[in-house]
Amino acid sequence: MVEFEVNSPVIEAVGLKKEFSVSEQGKGFAGAVKALFSTKKRIVRAVDGVGFSIQPGEFVGYAGENGAGKSTTIKILTGILVPSAGTATVRGVVPYRDRKANAANIGVVFGQRTQLWWDLPTSDSFEMLRAIYRIKRGDYADMMKKLSDVLDLGPLMSVPVRKLSLGQRMKCDIAASLIHRPKVLFLDEPTIGLDVVAKENIRQFLGEINRTEGTTIILTTHDMNDIERLCARLIILDKGRVIYDGLTEGLRQRFGHEKVLEVEFDGRSPAKTALPNLEIVAENGSKISFKYLEDGRSGGLAAIIGKLAADFPVKDILVREPSVEVIIRSIYEKTVSLPPYDGQK
Amino acid sequence: MTPGLFLKFAVTSFRKEITYRFDYLIMILNGFLYVFIFTSLWRSVFTSAGGTFGGFTKEGIISYTIVAMVVRISFSMDDGVIPGKVRDGSVALDLIRPVSFQMMNLAQNAGYSAFHITARGIPILIVSGLLFGLHVSAGSLPASVVSLALSYLILFLLNYSVSLLSFWFIDVFPFILLKYGLINLLSGGLLPMDFFPASIRGWLDYLPFQHIFYSPAVIITGRVAPEHAWGILASQAGWVVALWIVSALMWRAGSNRLVIQGG
Repeated sequence: MVEFEVNSPVIEAVGLKKEFSVSEQGKGFAGAVKALFSTKKRIVRAVDGVGFSIQPGEFVGYAGENGAGKSTTIKILTGILVPSAGTATVRGVVPYRDRKANAANIGVVFGQRTQLWWDLPTSDSFEMLRAIYRIKRGDYADMMKKLSDVLDLGPLMSVPVRKLSLGQRMKCDIAASLIHRPKVLFLDEPTIGLDVVAKENIRQFLGEINRTEGTTIILTTHDMNDIERLCARLIILDKGRVIYDGLTEGLRQRFGHEKVLEVEFDGRSPAKTALPNLEIVAENGSKISFKYLEDGRSGGLAAIIGKLAADFPVKDILVREPSVEVIIRSIYEKTVSLPPYDGQK
Repeated sequence: MTPGLFLKFAVTSFRKEITYRFDYLIMILNGFLYVFIFTSLWRSVFTSAGGTFGGFTKEGIISYTIVAMVVRISFSMDDGVIPGKVRDGSVALDLIRPVSFQMMNLAQNAGYSAFHITARGIPILIVSGLLFGLHVSAGSLPASVVSLALSYLILFLLNYSVSLLSFWFIDVFPFILLKYGLINLLSGGLLPMDFFPASIRGWLDYLPFQHIFYSPAVIITGRVAPEHAWGILASQAGWVVALWIVSALMWRAGSNRLVIQGG
């Protein structure tokens, strides 16, 4: 067994590609009959040359639209899928070549599926995991106690997994992914479908695990609040390629000159074209949200606000930095463009 | 996989069967009905024709039928598990564990079958033996146990290999039907191999099917004397090795082209 060196990257991906062949079938009965004799195959490239390197203890957000290749990358790194080209190592192990050795090192949560045994009481699922990962009884009891205390699992333990609510199930799934103290944790949409309180609890817990256990965490999510709250580093994927890899805060600083102005008017409000630097992004009764674009000519935001207040009956004004979500949305909608990504952070 | 973990997987799937199998009285009746129909059939055929056929006496064929059918009922396996997991993508969750997929499936199958042995096989064996008359060879006990274990592995490996086809085809039901047909006809579960014409039997020796129910049944009922059983056990073991290699190769090729459905 190769000892993993402390100072080398914990995850290394170079030029990963994954192609799927999709057979196409025409519509209706005729299409089905035709498909019997000739199958038209189309190659879909889900991941198209993805590369990055992650250091121990990092908390990395992995973002992208549906079909951008997030889940496929995660499945390569967890040893489930074999890449069509490129290489990957996780703690020095090639996951798709030595799946079992890799599996012992990592924890995985797929938000859309449970890894617990559907028919068993929750406690039996954890006992099963103890046997699978050969956890010593003492270590198991310690970790179980820690997880139960923080996630409040106690009352859930005797309930069959199929009777847990989504939020309860997710807490148990996350606990299940950590019971063997993995050094690397992959979270694929762990907050999907959860309410605000449950999301917040899980975020707090993940942040704490990252700090106290030094667990390297890769998080894919559609909820940019997850990333903003937790991930110092952000990798953005588009059409199977990395288009941004850097600090989450860096993204905001880069596009921070775009501010959002929320104004509540008392009665009369401006027409769309009234102000050159303001673009209406949302309208809700007397409340209007503008996107403010700094162009260096109109005397800055203060001048704009002054002009707005002089011309219209303004009740309240709020200036906000754009959220990461807004920035990413504008990247996808091509209203802002990133410089071509050259593979360097 | 350690024996402890193997047992844990088996016990878990045994318990799952108990949870969901409240219809097991019906399943006992169904199995018993099969034994009743076939033993009655052979009894009337052999009584009206008289003498022996294919080397079987009337008592011999009835004992053979009870044993072969009870083994067939006991060795129930759920063919739909792996194709179902591939179809809905949950196979991904088996692959994130540091355990062999094949051993895990074998263990889960063993637990499933353990339920069918205790809940159906043994009760049907006792009732049928008392009602229809069962003669087994006490001296063949060690060879019988080994033969049963090997026949279980052959059946499992056949099922497992057919299930792995789901890595290539979304719908493997036709293959499962084909396998059922071949096993029903050629494994000795319904019809002993001795009833086939010699020309066909020669070909069947090149296939694994007769080692599933025919081989253990002839050893258990003493049709093959214990001192002659070792040749059969050796070819059973040979088939286990061959099918194990086939399934390992299929796994290697299949996991390269696995697609996880539903993201």
